[in-house]
Amino acid sequence: MTYFFGKKTEQLFIWLFFPLALLLPLFLEQNEFYVNKLTSVVIFAIFVMSLDYLVGRCGMITLGHSMFYGLGGYLFILIAPEFEAVNFWVYTFYICVLAAAIALVVGVIVLRTSGVYMIMITLAIAQMCFYFFSDSVEFGGNDGLFILMKPDTSLFGLAFFNLDDPLHFYYFCLLSLFNCLVFWKLVTGSRFGRIMEAVKDNPQRTTALGYNVFLFRLLSYVMASALAAYAGYLFALQYGFVNPSMMSWQTSGSALVMSILGGMGSLYGAILGTVVYEGLHYSLEHLTEHWLLLMGCLIIAMVMLFKAGIAGFLENLLERRK
Amino acid sequence: MTHATVLQTEGLCKYWGGVKALDNMSLSFHDKSVHGIVGPNGAGKSTLLNLLCGSYKPTAGRILHQGEAIEDIRAYQFVRRGIGRGFQKTNIYPQVTCLENCCIAAQRRVGGSFNILLSKNSSALLKEMAEQALQQVGLGSRRDTIASQISYGEQRQLEIAMVLATAPSVLLLDEPMAGMGHEESRLIIELLKKLKQDYCIVLVEHDMDAVFELSDQLTVMVNGQHLVTGCVDEVRNNSKVKEAYLGQGDEVI
Repeated sequence: MTYFFGKKTEQLFIWLFFPLALLLPLFLEQNEFYVNKLTSVVIFAIFVMSLDYLVGRCGMITLGHSMFYGLGGYLFILIAPEFEAVNFWVYTFYICVLAAAIALVVGVIVLRTSGVYMIMITLAIAQMCFYFFSDSVEFGGNDGLFILMKPDTSLFGLAFFNLDDPLHFYYFCLLSLFNCLVFWKLVTGSRFGRIMEAVKDNPQRTTALGYNVFLFRLLSYVMASALAAYAGYLFALQYGFVNPSMMSWQTSGSALVMSILGGMGSLYGAILGTVVYEGLHYSLEHLTEHWLLLMGCLIIAMVMLFKAGIAGFLENLLERRK
Repeated sequence: MTHATVLQTEGLCKYWGGVKALDNMSLSFHDKSVHGIVGPNGAGKSTLLNLLCGSYKPTAGRILHQGEAIEDIRAYQFVRRGIGRGFQKTNIYPQVTCLENCCIAAQRRVGGSFNILLSKNSSALLKEMAEQALQQVGLGSRRDTIASQISYGEQRQLEIAMVLATAPSVLLLDEPMAGMGHEESRLIIELLKKLKQDYCIVLVEHDMDAVFELSDQLTVMVNGQHLVTGCVDEVRNNSKVKEAYLGQGDEVI
């Protein structure tokens, strides 16, 4: 535990968040609406975390990350037979590999740029993809498509969980989120992570030390894109449909806001940011018709108050006294 | 006594549009010696260094490292051939410890830089390499200090330690004494004297006393042109050099 999660705040967060998330559905008395709501927050946190790694740990600011989120869903429809339940695990693997392959090609193009130019080109490519899917008749246009047969989750003949049971699916997504956090922690603590951080801080210096900066960036981009697609795949399975709005720039934008809100680069902050943002969204929506205005003001206030996000604020609070 | 030629340029040119930053430069750099490069501002010294480490691609001419032409390879591959470069502006990773700075530099030698599952602290050898580099420049006691918190002079030493951690045979140093006080400069001079027993050092420096004290060979450049190369005394007494550096006059450098 201490090996992966070095910071005290981080440990505390994990000990608080995951048990709480495990127990929460018990208090909701199996109310499907709330369980589904929680599931979609958890799924989106997986997506935000992959963006948080790219932006906060690699210094690659992208506004096109939602493209991979959407592709995760559309790829499933594209490759899975329509009227046959395929194996969930096999298709998870296919989708991640396919998304990684697409990210490899896109990465070679967009990683020639950096900074503002990278924001522009990732946005442009994601918008191209968005309009392709929203204009194509084959993919259902603006309405998207339904997944007629949900995959079968048995592994070696054993069925671990049922995709149609919201509670099962919620726990599976929560486990995925935890695995993703461990994965990103592993990556950032590895030899690769050391050089990636050096690349982020000072690419010129890192080149002069003999590292091929481009390849480090590319590998990071591919990994983050594959996990974004995984999150999109889970989202598609939750409600059984895909929709071009998954790929819209607003999806990237709100994910970026969540990442900043949580504390960029802290990884666990991505969970904090997503929960707080979605929590605000949900509670304000019921309060007033003009909830977006209120929400905008609150987010501006929070970003001004917590310079390093909520994670940074908590770390300051809990670890300053040492 | 001259040592083997390690690095060589033949008719090296770098033009920026119509501006000849460096024109027809043919030099040889020898092992176990310091080759000083001096010249007024804008003489093309830094351009030369940027060409020698692969940061710039030459407009024309060749760079030979141990007899092989290397002007076409990528910048990061220069380091793998043993050509290490220190920067004019302090160029370190300020947010991590001195040891970590050298670990970053040395990791290429132990490999596994694309391994996303191998812990960065798993290699004792790597730590040893990094520590050795720190000790070589006399920063052993600073290993666990965050790099932004050591003095400016020490940061310049750290910069050299990082280059040493890449296990180079050639050291390209761009004004390692810039902005230093007398005592700090002394420290660097002693360090370079020690290092020149093992490395081929190309030294661009404005501090004339230091250059004269350290250099075995000295090249004077003016306006991107090669003026004269020779041992310190030859250069010191060369009338062309006096003219270029001091304008018309009879003052001795």
